[in-house]
Amino acid sequence: MNIHEYQAKKVLAQYGINVPKGGIAYTPTEAKRVAQHISSRGPWMLKAQIQSGARASGHFISHDAGGKGGIRQVTQISNISYETAQMLNNTLVTEQTDEKGKVVNKVYVEVYKEVKKMFYAGIIIDSSIPSITLLISDVINEDVVRLAHFGKESLLRLNLKYDSGITDEQIYKILDFLSLDKEYLRSFHDFLGKLLFTFINLDAQMIEINPVGIGEDKKLVALDAKITFDDNALFRHPDILKMKDESEEGERFLKASRCGFQYQEFSGTVGCIVNGGSLALEAMDIVKFKGSELACSLNVKGGVDKDKVASGIKIIMTNPRVEGIFINILGGFLRCNLIADGILTATQDVGVSIPIVVRFEGTNKDEAIAILEQSNLPIYFAQTPNEAIDILLKQMEIND
Amino acid sequence: MSILADKNTRVLVQGITGTQASFHIKRSMEGGTQVVAGVSPRHGGEEHLGVPVFNTIYEAKRQLSFDASVMFVPANGVKSAVREAVEAEIPLVVSIAQGVPVHDMLEIKSMLNGSKTLMVGPNTPGLITPNEARLGIFPENIHKKGSVGIISRSSTLTYEAVLETDAASMGQSTVVGLGDDMIIGSDFRVMLKLFMEDENTDTVVLIGKADNAYELQAAEYYASLENKKPVIAFVAGEALPYNNYTMGYAADIITHGRITVGDKKRIMCESGMIVADDMSEIHKMLKELHS
Repeated sequence: MNIHEYQAKKVLAQYGINVPKGGIAYTPTEAKRVAQHISSRGPWMLKAQIQSGARASGHFISHDAGGKGGIRQVTQISNISYETAQMLNNTLVTEQTDEKGKVVNKVYVEVYKEVKKMFYAGIIIDSSIPSITLLISDVINEDVVRLAHFGKESLLRLNLKYDSGITDEQIYKILDFLSLDKEYLRSFHDFLGKLLFTFINLDAQMIEINPVGIGEDKKLVALDAKITFDDNALFRHPDILKMKDESEEGERFLKASRCGFQYQEFSGTVGCIVNGGSLALEAMDIVKFKGSELACSLNVKGGVDKDKVASGIKIIMTNPRVEGIFINILGGFLRCNLIADGILTATQDVGVSIPIVVRFEGTNKDEAIAILEQSNLPIYFAQTPNEAIDILLKQMEIND
Repeated sequence: MSILADKNTRVLVQGITGTQASFHIKRSMEGGTQVVAGVSPRHGGEEHLGVPVFNTIYEAKRQLSFDASVMFVPANGVKSAVREAVEAEIPLVVSIAQGVPVHDMLEIKSMLNGSKTLMVGPNTPGLITPNEARLGIFPENIHKKGSVGIISRSSTLTYEAVLETDAASMGQSTVVGLGDDMIIGSDFRVMLKLFMEDENTDTVVLIGKADNAYELQAAEYYASLENKKPVIAFVAGEALPYNNYTMGYAADIITHGRITVGDKKRIMCESGMIVADDMSEIHKMLKELHS
């Protein structure tokens, strides 16, 4: 789960990490009030709160937005409302959103902080060691993925011990890498130590401070903040879970996650229901190889509740882009007959007007096939995924 | 005859009294798996599925000995279940649970480090030596005894791989699901080593996927071997859009550079593995190898 910048900064501040003074605003008037409250003379930063990086270089779809990006520096208090109004309720498109962009419905107003140097700091988990890894770079305001493309020299990676934290030796390495004096030892230790503590304490999967600023007072300040939490550990963090912004997720994604399933969308026309992430990958590969593309996939792995399976299947059936459905279930823990029952319930509720091809294998396969055969629904059966997709694409062509 | 488990493996079940555990353990026992006891808090002293139930492994160990434990405990209980098994020095644990927090796995990995316990999973169908031992939730009706070892990082594609060996009329020596998660108890290298040393395995099928870098470690290890049995490899996710952040890519990209499925396949191919572009090619490759 991701949270907004303003929420992440609030969390960091709770852990004693230095962040610029700021407040959230839902209207232009509110923005002005916040600005006056946090600083008497500015300048201020206005930051569109959507869950995406690269907001500064992004653009608003509407021309009323003044042709500027989603992060703006404002020097006159009289311009705060005007600039905020340009961003609110407009759609911001960035490198990390899709072309549809995201609607800005709140703006974070922050004191502009003068710093003498900035750098990138990130904490992630390297699965192959496995270890918590601290990343430091001189390149700032770049997407974490793009950062890797700048080559090894631009990125310092340090593996951190789960229990012993960051050592002085590691801090010296960082200072050397950033060409900074040893006198920064304490402020780096303090800042990065608190960041690591936050990471561990809140079951984070990634924390990025892009950039960290170094002030005249030698103290470090988080100028931006992004935190991704481990969904599997949210049961331990009810306060974090409350920060979830459902408007960031589409309706189908929400429905799927309420049933405990993973839903993904792509740009094609084939809907697919599978039990296992890799089966979705496999379906995607085969469909693409045969010249078509997936519209969406639903992973019902671990499903044991018939009604939830049925509502999951309905998400795919009612997606207007879907012109045919491929269902591939390899029963183990999940029993095939449960899926068959789910298909029956879902089709009774919403009807079937598009071809469906089913492939069952494993636990209770025969019962499942019998259930669907007796239903007289227009469902095709296949032995392998390849065969299933051949049948499906052919039927979709006939249906056209 | 196999790796890790066979008909002589004495199995303990952690969380034996649960519904899913009961369903699957009963099937395992009917198929010959030697389940000797179960552990379930507050059920100590009872009998379930014909075996004694204890409150803790510690109690169970005072009366019986075990070679392996299958855990049917929920995700939030896996960390303490593994700790208990590690303390009891059980050589093998298999965790089926889906959704174990990643920080718990970091702690579990440090518990396992230097211990006498090997962990398979979590988020795996487990491991199966056909007709001998089923430690997990595999649909046993698709398995046949044979000479192909299977190691997979995808639960469900494991079943596809099994069906491919069936289609080649070869069957399986042992099938190991490593688990779908970002951090797993054991990786490809451990299992490859065991299969290379197992006299009843003549070929290995290895199933990888797009995220993480485990396939690269497998390739590096395989390339370093002097005497190697043939490995047929498949990696799922070639068509996955690169900018799909939801599949847990960002962290791997940043730590290892951009690794696409194509890169993985190329590196595995260079290590000497036979790489399949489509899972349905595997049975043909198996037949060719043994013609």
